[in-house]
Amino acid sequence: MIITVKLIGVFRIDRFKEQRQPLAEGSCVADIVDSLELSRRLLGIMLINGVHATESELLNDGDCLTLMPVLEGG
Amino acid sequence: MKLNTSDPAAQPEQILYTRCTIDLNTGRQTIEEIPCRNLEDVLGGFGRSFQDLAERQIATAYCAENPLIINTGLLTGSTAMTAMRTYFSSYSPIKGSQKGLPAAMWSAGSGKFGAKLKWTGLDELVLENCSEQPVYILIRETDQGPQLTLKPAEHLLGLGTHDKIMALYKEYPQAHFAAIGQAGENWQNNYMGAVALSTENQLKSGEDKCRFAGRGGMGSIMGHKNVLALVADSPDKIKPVSDAVKKVNLNVIKGGGAARLQPLSRGGGGGTWAAYDVLQAFHAVPVNNFRPQGNDLPEKLFRVNVEKDYVIESQACYRCGITCHNNVSEKNADGSRGEFLAKFDYEPLNLLGTNIGIHDAGQAARLIQLGDNYGMDAISLGVTISYLLSYNERHAEAPLLNGATFGDYAKIRQLVIEAGEGRLPEIGCGSMRLSHQVGEPGYAYHVKGLEIAAYQPESNPGYAWAIAGGHMSMGTYGLLAREGKTDVEFWVKAITEDKLQIVGFDMIGLCKFFDINNGIGTQMVVDCLKSEMELDVSAADLKKAVHRAFLRGLALELRQGYEKSEFALPVEVFEQPNDNIQLPKITSSEFVRSLEQQVWQIFEQQMAEMLD
Repeated sequence: MIITVKLIGVFRIDRFKEQRQPLAEGSCVADIVDSLELSRRLLGIMLINGVHATESELLNDGDCLTLMPVLEGG
Repeated sequence: MKLNTSDPAAQPEQILYTRCTIDLNTGRQTIEEIPCRNLEDVLGGFGRSFQDLAERQIATAYCAENPLIINTGLLTGSTAMTAMRTYFSSYSPIKGSQKGLPAAMWSAGSGKFGAKLKWTGLDELVLENCSEQPVYILIRETDQGPQLTLKPAEHLLGLGTHDKIMALYKEYPQAHFAAIGQAGENWQNNYMGAVALSTENQLKSGEDKCRFAGRGGMGSIMGHKNVLALVADSPDKIKPVSDAVKKVNLNVIKGGGAARLQPLSRGGGGGTWAAYDVLQAFHAVPVNNFRPQGNDLPEKLFRVNVEKDYVIESQACYRCGITCHNNVSEKNADGSRGEFLAKFDYEPLNLLGTNIGIHDAGQAARLIQLGDNYGMDAISLGVTISYLLSYNERHAEAPLLNGATFGDYAKIRQLVIEAGEGRLPEIGCGSMRLSHQVGEPGYAYHVKGLEIAAYQPESNPGYAWAIAGGHMSMGTYGLLAREGKTDVEFWVKAITEDKLQIVGFDMIGLCKFFDINNGIGTQMVVDCLKSEMELDVSAADLKKAVHRAFLRGLALELRQGYEKSEFALPVEVFEQPNDNIQLPKITSSEFVRSLEQQVWQIFEQQMAEMLD
C-alpha cells in the first residue's frame, strides 16, 4: 500500500516535508516513526487523515500521516 | 528561611520567613521573621502573597493601601535547575472586573535577581504607600541580616529597563537588579508596565538580555510607588550540587518535558518558537488579531526561514541546562554575528509579529526589543495593538490614533514608542478599556481584562479560569492541538485537576520548564526539597497546596466583583466562527454550557470546603 507522510518542524531537518511511501500491509504509525528514526522525545502529535492518532494505530492504503514535534509554549 | 522542622506540611508554623515591610512614605522599615500559616506560605511566591492580598479590600490599583509584594520561592537560589524565579504580586491596574475593581495578580520572572535577593537573607519585601521622590531600594547582606536602604533615583528617570540596570551595575558590580522602564514610570497612562530582571549574560555582554515579570502591570505598580529599581547585593551562594539534585537536574534536561525546548544542536525542539510550525499545521497561529486566514503567511517567521538572514544563538538562564533562549542578532556580510536584536519566544514573536501583520523577522525583533526596553508586557502590548489594527480595518473611513493598519511597521512602531512613553493611554491601558471606549468589545482578545497569550481561544476554553494570565496559570493551552479531545469530561478534568497545577511553579521558585506537564507535585521536587533543605514533603501534599493556592486565587477574583459571565472567551469566537482553524471544534454552545456548569460545580464546592 502507499501512504503519504507529512513531517512538521524539526522533523523536516535532513528528511522531507511530504513524501509518498510504500508500506507493508498491517503497518502502524510506529513503523513509520522507526523507519524515519524520529526522536520519541520530540514526537508529540500524530494525525491520520487529520485525526489525532497513536503510535499503535494501523495505517491503510491512501492514508495521510502527519508527524509533529510536541507543542510547548511559553 | 528558618527551618525548625523537617515536616512543613504538618508544622508550617515551625518555618519562618524573613520579611521586610517598607513604608515608602515615611521610610520606616520593619524586618520580621514570620511563621508560615500553611504549606503554601512555606513554598512562597503567589501561594503566600495572595493570602496577604486577600486580607486587604482594595478598590483601585493605584492607591497607597495596595502593596507591592516581591518574594521568592522556597527553591529560588538553590542548586535545582531553573531555580531563579522572583514574584511580584499586587492588585493589578490592567486586570479587573467589569465592576471596576482590580484583580489580584502576580507575575514571575527569571534572571539572577531572585537568587541574589534570596542570598541577601530576605525572603519577601512588602512595599507600602508611595515615595514622594523617585528611589531605588538597595538590599544588602550584612552580618546582622538583610539591610535595606532607600536611595535617590533621579538619575535613573527616563531610562529604559536595560539602561537603568547597566547604570546601577556600574555602582554595584556584585549585585543583580529589577528595574522598570519608562512605561512603569508613566503608570498613569500605562497599565502594562513590566519589571525587568537582570541576567548574567546581560551584565557581561552589555546587551539588553533582561528577563521580565511582564504580566499584570506590576511594573506600573512599582512606578506608582515611585520605586524605579531594586538592587540585590550579595555574594553568590551556590552550594555544591548534591548527587540527588544532580540526578534531578539531569532528568530535567534529558528526560523531562524540557528536552523539547533545548537547542536543535542537542536534539531538542528549538525552544518555544517551535510552536509556530506545529500550530501552523492546524492553521492555528494567531494572525491579524487572532483571525488565522488559512494561508502560509505565518511560515515567514518559521525558524528555518529566519535563520537565512539572521544569526540565532541558543542561550540559557544562569546555570540552566535547558537553554531555551533563541537570541536573534543581525547577520554581518561575512556571516558573523552583528547587533543583538531580541530573544525569540513564541508569545512575543507572534503577538508583535504575525498577529499584527508583521511578517519580517527584523521588524518583529525591533518591536520586541522596543517594548522590552520601555518595559511593557509584550502580550498585553501586542494584543492591544492588534485590537486597534482590527478596529482600523473595520473602520477604514474613521480609523483611531495614527490610523495604523496590519503590517504597517512604521506606524506600529510609533504606537509602541508613544505607549511606552506614556503618551498613548488608549494602548497603554489595555484592550479591555480601549474596546469599551469605542463600544466594540467583541473582538478584544482578553479574558477578565488580561490579554490572552498567543494560542487561539478556540483551542483553549481553560483561558476562562486562568487566574493570572492564560498560559502561565492554566496549562490547557495547546492541549487541543496535542490531544484532539472534544469530550467535556476531558476538559473538566484538565481544568479542575491536572492543568491548574502549573501555578505551582509560581510558588516554589522554579520555571515551568522544569517539568511543564507534571507541575511541582512530583518526586523530582520532593527529592530537591529533601536534598537542599532536609524537608520531607510528599508529592501529594505539594499538589494539594498548589490546588488550595489556585482556589484562593479564584475566590479572590470572585470577591473582586467578577461575574461568572466574565469567565468567558472573546465573543467573536462564538459569533464569527473561524473555519480556517483546522482543529476539532469545542466552541459549540452545548459544549461551553456543559463545561461551565461542571467546572463551576467542582470549583464552587472546593472553595466552599476550603473557606469553611
